Formats: sequence, structure tokens, C-alpha cells
Amino acid sequence: MIQITTTPEPTPHTETGNGSTWAPPQMRANILLVDDRPDKLLALETVLTSLGQNIVKAQSGKDALRELLKQEFAVILLDVSMPGMDGFETAALIRERESSANTPIIFVTSYGNSDNHIARGYSLGAVDYLLTPIVPEILRTKVSVLVRLHEQTALIKRQGEELRRAEAARYQRELADVADRLEIETRRNRFFTLAQEMLGIADFNGRLLHLNASWNLAMGYTDDELKSVTGMDLVHPEDANKLMAGLNAVRNGSPLPYFEGRFRHKDGSYRWLGGTATPFMEEKLIYIFVRDVTPQKNAETQIQQLNHELEQRVAALTEANSQLEAFNYSIAHDLRTPLRSMSGFANALVEDEVAGLSTAGLEYARRIARSAKYMDAMLLDMLAYSRLSRADIVCEPVALDHSVLETLSVMEKEIRDRGVTVEVREPFFAVYAHPPTLKQIISNLLSNAIKFTDPSRKPVLRIYTTKSVQPLQSPSPRGEGLGVKGAPSSSPSPATDLVRFWVEDNGIGIPPEFQEKIFGLFKRLHDASAYPGTGVGLALVRRGAERMGGRAGVESEPGHGSRFWVELPAGTAPSP
Amino acid sequence: MEHRILHVEDNADDVMLTGMAFRKAGCPAKLDVATDGNKAIAALQTDAPRPACVLLDIKMPTLSGLEVLKWIRAQPHLKRIPVIMLTSSVLPEDINQAYDLGANSYLVKPSGLEALIEMAKMIDQYWLRANTPPG
Repeated sequence: MIQITTTPEPTPHTETGNGSTWAPPQMRANILLVDDRPDKLLALETVLTSLGQNIVKAQSGKDALRELLKQEFAVILLDVSMPGMDGFETAALIRERESSANTPIIFVTSYGNSDNHIARGYSLGAVDYLLTPIVPEILRTKVSVLVRLHEQTALIKRQGEELRRAEAARYQRELADVADRLEIETRRNRFFTLAQEMLGIADFNGRLLHLNASWNLAMGYTDDELKSVTGMDLVHPEDANKLMAGLNAVRNGSPLPYFEGRFRHKDGSYRWLGGTATPFMEEKLIYIFVRDVTPQKNAETQIQQLNHELEQRVAALTEANSQLEAFNYSIAHDLRTPLRSMSGFANALVEDEVAGLSTAGLEYARRIARSAKYMDAMLLDMLAYSRLSRADIVCEPVALDHSVLETLSVMEKEIRDRGVTVEVREPFFAVYAHPPTLKQIISNLLSNAIKFTDPSRKPVLRIYTTKSVQPLQSPSPRGEGLGVKGAPSSSPSPATDLVRFWVEDNGIGIPPEFQEKIFGLFKRLHDASAYPGTGVGLALVRRGAERMGGRAGVESEPGHGSRFWVELPAGTAPSP
Repeated sequence: MEHRILHVEDNADDVMLTGMAFRKAGCPAKLDVATDGNKAIAALQTDAPRPACVLLDIKMPTLSGLEVLKWIRAQPHLKRIPVIMLTSSVLPEDINQAYDLGANSYLVKPSGLEALIEMAKMIDQYWLRANTPPG
């Protein structure tokens, strides 16, 4: 009989529910009650409920063993006398199982066979026993001690496991770190192994201790061959001093910024190597980074040679050109001397010797004089053209107004005689020009316009300027190469503004096919008797414009007049 | 009073034409001719009266006109004599050097008798009449 002496207690803890208001289920210890009699089980359960643990009931040893398979128990209360498998047999089987070998077992037995049972129970590993009728306080105390023991064991076990896990995690982390470092180092090492540059580490004697594969590819030697010599053994004699100086500098701790030198390849040829070297003073090592720059050096040498040849050729051409110009000049100059005689004496014949000459003779003398005069004019123009090509042209801002008015006043008589109306559309934009050359150009353009008048209408001349922002090298209206040839001898103003000086006439005009030709030297479209001239004037205009960094051209329609223009960089001085 | 001009010119045609031009210009001056630089110096070293002015060509064999000019300016009794360069050279270096050496005028030989006569007239009018010679 079990005497129930306990007072019933509320049992809220038995509900396992969601566990949201109570400790997590795993924190509750399992208590296994084994008895063949349900009333005794109920009595035990009633006593133990207040402990708040998880109570599992089994009505036979078999059931108990089955429960033990499912879970771990903090304590087992085992009735000794059960039909079939009794408590001892059950205990023996429990002990045999590894998972439950240490689970505390409290045997429950009656007074009558207590001595025998107690002895046997202990031998089977019981930790305690209870005699029926059970005293609830004792039962609770014993069980709760064992439950606490179990909990502490579990706690220790858990803590141990956590510790192990933490240690394992740390170990794993360290392992991962090491792996990472190894990976990075491996990758970094590939700089050495994969580099197309020759990388090497040398001692302070310049002997290579470590080197990568590129050395072999570039220089043909094996690693061992290279390690058995120093740079001084392979360097070209002409570069040896330079290398020695570099090595000394590195030994003293200063990195070699860039070194280039020739080194002997295994095949006997020399290769240009270029690179840097950095000392590591603590270990007296030199870290060397070089590459084969032979192709670049060869190209460089070739370019230098070409440049040199080009310079020589330019010098020769310049010399030839200046000789040619000097030659032109002296020819033109020297030809004038006999011409002066021819002209002078022909004049003298006509003037002084009329008496001794026939009419035909007089006419011939006149023709000689006229031709000599014409030839002299040509030579003078040629001299002017030649001078223009040779002279130093220094440009400055020039207000066109003064030059134009001055030229017009010089030509005043001719303008009046020919009945030319001149329209000057001021103000003019200032230009960047060489004043004497500009004056010559204006003079030539104006006399050209006055000369080629159309007899059928009253000649009108318009002089004006226009301004535009255009690149200087823009194609000319006719697509001809009117641009600046070669560098102008003085730089134009930084402004890209261009000023065109226009001289517009209503004269005879120029057929399209001749509009470029007329700017050539000695190019004339007309018989000298109709329009006198040497054919140099417009050539001078163009040459002068080009030498000042500008260009010249014409727009014309036969029978309707021409518009000659000279384009020059705008002057910085504002036109008045 | 009759002026004398020393004309230094190696080209016989130019000598002849210049003389012709001065005559036609009605210039009363007498032209003494030296056909090269050395002869010009020799002529200037004689005791004969100093010429009113010197017409001096530049391009001449042996001694150039510029060298003659230099010599003239170095002579104490000749250094102020008006020297008119009469040459065919239009080279800026010749022109500038002539002025640097003390030329009083620089004329480029004209072509054609008429122009030459015009020039002779101007020389007569300016250098022999208008101009006050050195003392």
C-alpha cells in the first residue's frame, strides 16, 4: 500500500504547451516510473508532480526499456516485484545499455524483503532504494537530488560541449585564416613565377640568389648558370661603369630608379635590359626588376638615326634653298647691270642720235629700250619676290587704315587719270602682320585692281575687311592648298579670328581656270601691250600673305569684276 | 665756282651713262672717274682740290665701295666729305652697312637714261646747290 500523505498541489508545469511562458522542454529532466500497478504509479506521480519535471510511466520492465530507448532519464524509480521481468532483471538490462549505464536507479520495495532486495539492488548499481509505503517528502527529496545531479551533469556536459564547439570554431577560424594567408601568399608568389619581367633577388655582390623563369627566356642561361655569375660578368664593357655605380648606390641604400644597359645573351649577342633595383638593407639583398627592352632600344636607335638623317636632309634642303634664293637674287641683280647699259644707250640713241638713224633704225632702238625697260621691271619684281622669301618676317598688330590710305595717296595720280572711284569702307579690322610686307601686298592688290579695268564701264574699287572665326588651315573656297606652307616665321596672335582684306573691282574679271594660276610667278593672262606688268605682283601678294601666316585668293566672274582677298590673323589692337 | 665730283665706278658703261646723264641734266660739275677702290683712294690722296662729293659704287674688284668709305671716314681731311652711294645693290645689309660707315645718301642705280638724268638733276640740286658743305 502506498500512503499518500502529500497535499495536492496545482500542476501548471505539467502542461508542455508552447513553452513560451516556461523554460524550454529540454531543461526539464525525465523521470521514469516503473510499476506494474497503475495505482502505485499514480501515487508516485502525484508525489513527484510538484518537482515540475517530466514524468514518464511504464507498467513493465519491457515498457521501461522501450522508454529508455526513446530518451534519457535523470532517474528511474523501479518497482522490484513485477510479474514477468522483475525490477532486478530490468535493472540489469538497463545497465547493459551504454546510454543508460549510469542512470541512477532507485528501487522501490516493501519492508518484508527489504534486506535481500537492498543487497541485490546495490549490486545491480542502484543508487538508492525506497521502502513502501513511501514517505512523500523522502521520495521528493531523493528524486529531486538526483534530478539536480542530472541537471548539473547535463549542464556540465553542455558547457563542455559548448567549450569544445567554441574551441573547434576557433580552430576552424584559425585554420581558415591560415588558408587565406596561404592563398594570398600563393597569389602573391605568382607575381614572381608568372611575371614576364625578370625578377630576381641578389646579394650585395650582385649575384642572383633567386630568379624567375623569365631570365632564362630572355637571356638563354639556366638558373644555375645565372646564379654562378654576377651582372658585372655579363654587362657590356661600355655599360660596366654605369652598372658599377648603380650597384654601389644600391649597396648604400638608395634604390636605383631606372637603369638601362646591355648584357650578354648566352648566344653571344647583347640584349638591352632596363629596370630598377631596390635594396633590402637588413638582409643585404637587392630586389631586381628588369625587362628586355632591346626592341624598344632598337626602335629608339632607328628613330634617332632617322631623325638625324631627316635633320641632315632638312639642313641640306634649307642650305640648298637659301643658296638657290641667293643665286636667284644675284642673277636678278647682276642681270640688271648690262640691262642698264642696254636701256641707257638705247635711250641715248633715240634722244641724241636721231640725225644718224633711219626711221627703221630709230624704231628698232625704241624697241630695244622698251624691252630693256620691261626686263628691268621683271628683274626688279623678281628681286622683291626673292627678298620677301629671304627676309625675316616679324608680325605685329597693324591697323589697316593707315596703310591703305597711304597707298591710295601714292597712287592718287593714276587713280585720277583712270577715273577710278574708290570706296573705302571703314573701319577696318586690325590684322597681325609685318608692316612693310603688308604695305607691299596692299599696293600690289590696289594697282592690280586699277590696272585691269573694263573700258566699257566706269571703274569702281571697293576696299573693306571682314572678320571670321575659322581654323587657319581650313580649305580655301576652291579647295586649293592656299594654307600656310611650313611654319610661319612668327607666331600669329592666339585668337583664331581671321580678318580678310578685300579689294573688289568691276573690271574684266578672271576665268575660273586662271584664278589660281594668276598667283604664280610670271603668270600673265594678257598681252603686255593691253595690260602692262611683269606677272609677279600677285605672286608677291600670296607669298607675302603666306609668310605672315595667312593666305590669299580671289573670287571672280569674267566680265563682272574680281574680289581679291588676303586673310591674316586678327590683330589684337582694336581698329579705330 | 666749278664743282668737282669723284665718281667711283668700275663699269665703263655706267661711267659713260652717268656722265651723259649729268651733262643732259645741265649739271656744271666736272666728274672725275676712278674705276676701282684703290684708284679712288689714290685720287683722294693727291693735292688736287677736294671734290664736292663722292659717288661711290659698292661692288667693285679689289677694294669694295664700303671699304673705300671706311677709309675716307678715317682720314681727318676727308671724314666730313659727302659720300653718296650709287649702287645696284638693294640688299638690306649693304644699305645698313653703308649708313653705319657714314654714307650721307644711298641711291640705287636707276635703269633707263631718263631716270638717270632725273637722278643727276637731284644730286646737282641737292648736294651741289641746296646742301651746305662741311667747312
